[in-house]
Amino acid sequence: MDKALFEIYQSPQLRNPSLIVTWQTRDVGKLSFKIIHFLNEKLGGQKIAEIKPSGFFLLGGAAFKDNLLQVPESKFCACQNHNLLVFNSEEPKYEWHKFLSAILDFAEHYCHIKELYTVSGTVSLTAHTTPRRILAVYNQPEFQKALQGYGLEDMTWEGPPAISSYLLWLAKRRDIPGLSLWPEIPFYLAAGEDPTATKLVLSFLDRRFSLGLGLGELDSDIGNQNEKIAQLRDENAEINEYINRLESGLSLNEEEQVRLARGVYEILEPYSQ
Amino acid sequence: MGIRLFKEPELEKPDLICGWPGIGNIGLIAVDTLKGVLVAEEFAEIEPWDFFYPEKVSIRDGLLESLEFPANKFYYQKLERKDLIFFLGEKQPTEGERMYAAGEKAYQMANLVLDVAEKFGCQRVYTSGACVSPIHHTAKPRVVSVVSSEKLVEEVIRHQNTILISEMGGREGEGVITGLNGLLLAVAKKRGLESICLMGEIPDWLSGSPFPYPKASKSVLEVFADILGIRVDFGFLGKMVAQIEEIVERLYEGFPPEIKERYDERKFVVQAKPRGITEEDAKWIKEHIDEFFKKRGEQGGQSSV
Repeated sequence: MDKALFEIYQSPQLRNPSLIVTWQTRDVGKLSFKIIHFLNEKLGGQKIAEIKPSGFFLLGGAAFKDNLLQVPESKFCACQNHNLLVFNSEEPKYEWHKFLSAILDFAEHYCHIKELYTVSGTVSLTAHTTPRRILAVYNQPEFQKALQGYGLEDMTWEGPPAISSYLLWLAKRRDIPGLSLWPEIPFYLAAGEDPTATKLVLSFLDRRFSLGLGLGELDSDIGNQNEKIAQLRDENAEINEYINRLESGLSLNEEEQVRLARGVYEILEPYSQ
Repeated sequence: MGIRLFKEPELEKPDLICGWPGIGNIGLIAVDTLKGVLVAEEFAEIEPWDFFYPEKVSIRDGLLESLEFPANKFYYQKLERKDLIFFLGEKQPTEGERMYAAGEKAYQMANLVLDVAEKFGCQRVYTSGACVSPIHHTAKPRVVSVVSSEKLVEEVIRHQNTILISEMGGREGEGVITGLNGLLLAVAKKRGLESICLMGEIPDWLSGSPFPYPKASKSVLEVFADILGIRVDFGFLGKMVAQIEEIVERLYEGFPPEIKERYDERKFVVQAKPRGITEEDAKWIKEHIDEFFKKRGEQGGQSSV
């Protein structure tokens, strides 16, 4: 392990924890952001280390978004009482293999993790009223077997790999059992928040690690969102027609998808525009 | 960053022949075809992850089955006249938005390839690529060579249809072989190895096309066959040449008559500089050809998991 890649702030007091990894980049439905904040707040996550940005990110200046400076941060937080190690970062711009290996090096050598979980949303062409699924990808059949009964749906897919799949593959090579969670997020909620998907993932983590999270507070966010969309459907026949079609299992063309996504985004995120 | 050796064949001063993708994939097709004709056996690879991002993941019934990277493999074959090592890279390692290899990664890759070659006693390295040239598309592409030392000059020009780069003219004796086809030779020369680059001519107006130019690969392959003293069945390559010729001919038919007339002058003269078409003609061809290729290349995006 190349210690020069890390800033280590505290020695982790964890016993064979599980590692949860989320990415800020392409954060569909703001899922990663919500989950990390929820976990760290509820479980008292403490920043214990980070991967230094040099060599992984473009450091030619400072980016800003919505008036705020954006600093690439790739940090490990320890939730000591619940024996969880949480890693959150932007996707590196360069040297993915070195970066992902560094995550596993730290998690393996400093914390002796037993399992890896990655969380990323996947955009779905379904209605928000359709029951959500979490699609799952495992890196070991034994692990897949062990997690039957959690209501996860096995994914089948071929194509360009996301960074989570790359990490899962590297973990497999190290014999670390791993699972990628891909909750479905309706395409018209992808640009904003999707509290239903957030709750679904947190429910899984809650059950898997017996966290006692108390997810009731998310119900009001879900209720508010559903209410706003219902109101939009009442007021806008076109939007209602699009969602009706999705609910009936029909598809929308690209133009219709854009109109629906824009209509919903405008009502749910009026201050983000 | 490493090399995985599956086997340690006993080779006697093998020549190394390398192919990477490039303009018209001329070198890659020539070297890959030669490797196939000689039924060369895979014996090593360069671990790809320090150079490339994975290109495909396969997930079936919830299980991650594989992650595929561009391959960088070594093969060998022992011939009567010469032992050979082939290296085929599916991609050139790039930094930033460059198309061809450059920078630290490319240098590391070149050194790794040569580490393997030298481990087995290699003393000579060949690379093959494209030479963008003002030839007519119906002309037989020549093989243009650049060598690491004077003593190799006599040797390369002995082969049929082969010229030295200096015979192309118009370059004031200077130029650059871009990407690993050039860099590998430079590093090889620095290590004291003989290095030869064999480049098949491709018409200048086709150099940006997204399809291969096997006619030039065939020319290069003929030279390799001559060097190695082997007979090669060009049947497969012949079919590919015919298919591409058909596309090129369709493009050519779309030229306005006056450009066609000037361009056709290339049929009758072996030129050093583009002649027969004006700068305006070249601009017209570029714009229309690019448009044609763009239309053919437009495809929907893909998400990732």
